[in-house]
Amino acid sequence: MSSVLLLNLAWQISTLALVALGLAIVFGKLRIMNMAHGEFVMIGAYAPVITSSLGLPGWLQVPVCLLSVGLVAFVLERTIIRHLYGRMFDSLLATWGIAILLRETVELLFGRGYQSVTPPISGTLSLLGTEYPAYRIAVIAGIVLGFGALAWWNARSKVATRIKAMVGNPDLAEAVGINTARLSAGAFIFGCCTAGLAGLILAPTIRIEPMMGLDYLIRSFFALVVGGLGSLEGLGIGAGIIAGTQSVLGALANQTYGYLAVLTLSILFLWLKPDGIRSSTR
Amino acid sequence: MLKTTARLPSSAAMCLAIATTAAQADIRIGVLVPDSGPAGLFGPSARNSAILAANEINANGGINGEPIELVFADVGVPPAEAAQAALRLWRGEGVQAFVGMHDSAVREALVGRFGGQVPYVYTPVYEGNACAPGLYVTGETPSQQLAPVIPYLMEHEGVSRWYLIGHDYNWPRDTNALARGYITEAGGEVVGEEYVPFTVSEFDSSLQRIRESGADAVLITLVGGGSVGFNVSFAGFGLDDQAIRLGTLIEENTLAGIGAENANRLFSSSGYFGSIETEAATAFAASYDAAFGADAPALNDLGESTYEGLMLLAALANRAGSLSVEAMDAAAEGTTWSTPRGDNTLVGRHMAQTIYLADGTGGVFNVVAAFPNVASDEACAN
Repeated sequence: MSSVLLLNLAWQISTLALVALGLAIVFGKLRIMNMAHGEFVMIGAYAPVITSSLGLPGWLQVPVCLLSVGLVAFVLERTIIRHLYGRMFDSLLATWGIAILLRETVELLFGRGYQSVTPPISGTLSLLGTEYPAYRIAVIAGIVLGFGALAWWNARSKVATRIKAMVGNPDLAEAVGINTARLSAGAFIFGCCTAGLAGLILAPTIRIEPMMGLDYLIRSFFALVVGGLGSLEGLGIGAGIIAGTQSVLGALANQTYGYLAVLTLSILFLWLKPDGIRSSTR
Repeated sequence: MLKTTARLPSSAAMCLAIATTAAQADIRIGVLVPDSGPAGLFGPSARNSAILAANEINANGGINGEPIELVFADVGVPPAEAAQAALRLWRGEGVQAFVGMHDSAVREALVGRFGGQVPYVYTPVYEGNACAPGLYVTGETPSQQLAPVIPYLMEHEGVSRWYLIGHDYNWPRDTNALARGYITEAGGEVVGEEYVPFTVSEFDSSLQRIRESGADAVLITLVGGGSVGFNVSFAGFGLDDQAIRLGTLIEENTLAGIGAENANRLFSSSGYFGSIETEAATAFAASYDAAFGADAPALNDLGESTYEGLMLLAALANRAGSLSVEAMDAAAEGTTWSTPRGDNTLVGRHMAQTIYLADGTGGVFNVVAAFPNVASDEACAN
């Protein structure tokens, strides 16, 4: 296996895990089948477009991203999502509508055309005997560190347990003193913000336009279907299998076989192992 | 009007009442542009360009002395729905001719529905091989975009090893089949050919293959978002040092998405760029700005093509002295007219036109070569 393939694998898997993280929280924990997940990635990717059109310095991209995504998520949670916890199919329809609304809003603000974003780090680095984009290497390292920190926090914090209690039995959770309204709103907004950050981080390496979210939604769902809902390991395994299959087959055979294999895998999992490889739900 | 209604199939009888009440002196021309769907991006500039053409035609006495009026319909929808929309304009609103900027599937549906009974000008760049009574084409075909450009680039950029990459459908495959011929003819070789599905948005493995192939030129027939994603990653991997890129559908919007820092040595071959500096082209761009403001959607090859289509329709109908398909088909060959693209001639129902090669380095197209009067390989006859 060539070193470029290894680096491409690391890039594909880490970025898919990052993109799917928000969906793993919102769908895996809160049981909101968030069809607007990709649109939060899209809004995050527009953060550099916002800062550059307002003439703001580059370091403001992160706060602008978190603020815009967080605000949208907050408003949606308060007005629509909070009525839909535990109503999986209803949430699917509602968030599909929200996705269309968000796409049209962004189109209204920025137009239908493509936007481009300059990477903060340009050029290539020599790594493992090959030239690889420096920005990608920094992103891979950042995602690995970020997930390490998240796993560490997740193991110590009681938030995950509280969310589980809240989803399993909201009345009982309220009775033992869990503020379910605040907890679920917080988890939803946190999940959306990670999606927005993923968009911001990927922005210099992808196409940016109002319709871009769909790609990310579909791949995230595939990763969760294969990996299983509700755990960080499941997310990692799912992202590894989906992104790995596409990368390896894409490199050894061609992209068509890669995509075909990903679809086949997802169908087989839904059919034979609908809970995925790792699932915390049973 | 009477002639049209006499041919009405009974199923469309409902529209008859509307058609007769809508009858009026002006010649109505249906302009079919995508307002929705993947090509929806080009809807606004296509509409604007059509409006400019109509103003100009009317200022010059209309078609056979009668002023024209445009009626728009959205064809960024599945072919059957697009044909339905066109039928409503034709049978319902008394439209006497069509100009269409849309994909080939919609064109096939329209050709079937029109049955050669109404003149129809097809305007976007396309893969070639469309012949039908009453069908006239202004869009560039692969032979026009590549035959002069590939030898030029091989000589001036000193490249010879080509890698061909496109989306997996007939336009890229037809383009590449022709490109192979031009490349070998000019003494070069094809070191790789690859087609990717529309669903793929990551091109890492393709880029690795391009690097390993040792290619010094890449012919890109990816479309839209795929082209943007590919070109961004291409430059990210530093491949712009290894190879030049040539695209046959990289227009101003796509270049904006690719970004200035990723457009080093990226060439585009096309019949029109917003930055062409001929007198006719700058005058057109100036009137576009004056009519629609500086914030209007940027001029580009696909949008401007509706202007070409309407000007051809007017030139042809004036030459034939009528808007009937029989008269226009008979008069078609050798029709000449001038537009922002240059001096054009209708040859084999396709538009022989100037082909421009532009360099996108720095994020703006600079025309580096112009090849006048390039005819298409297509040869449709009566």
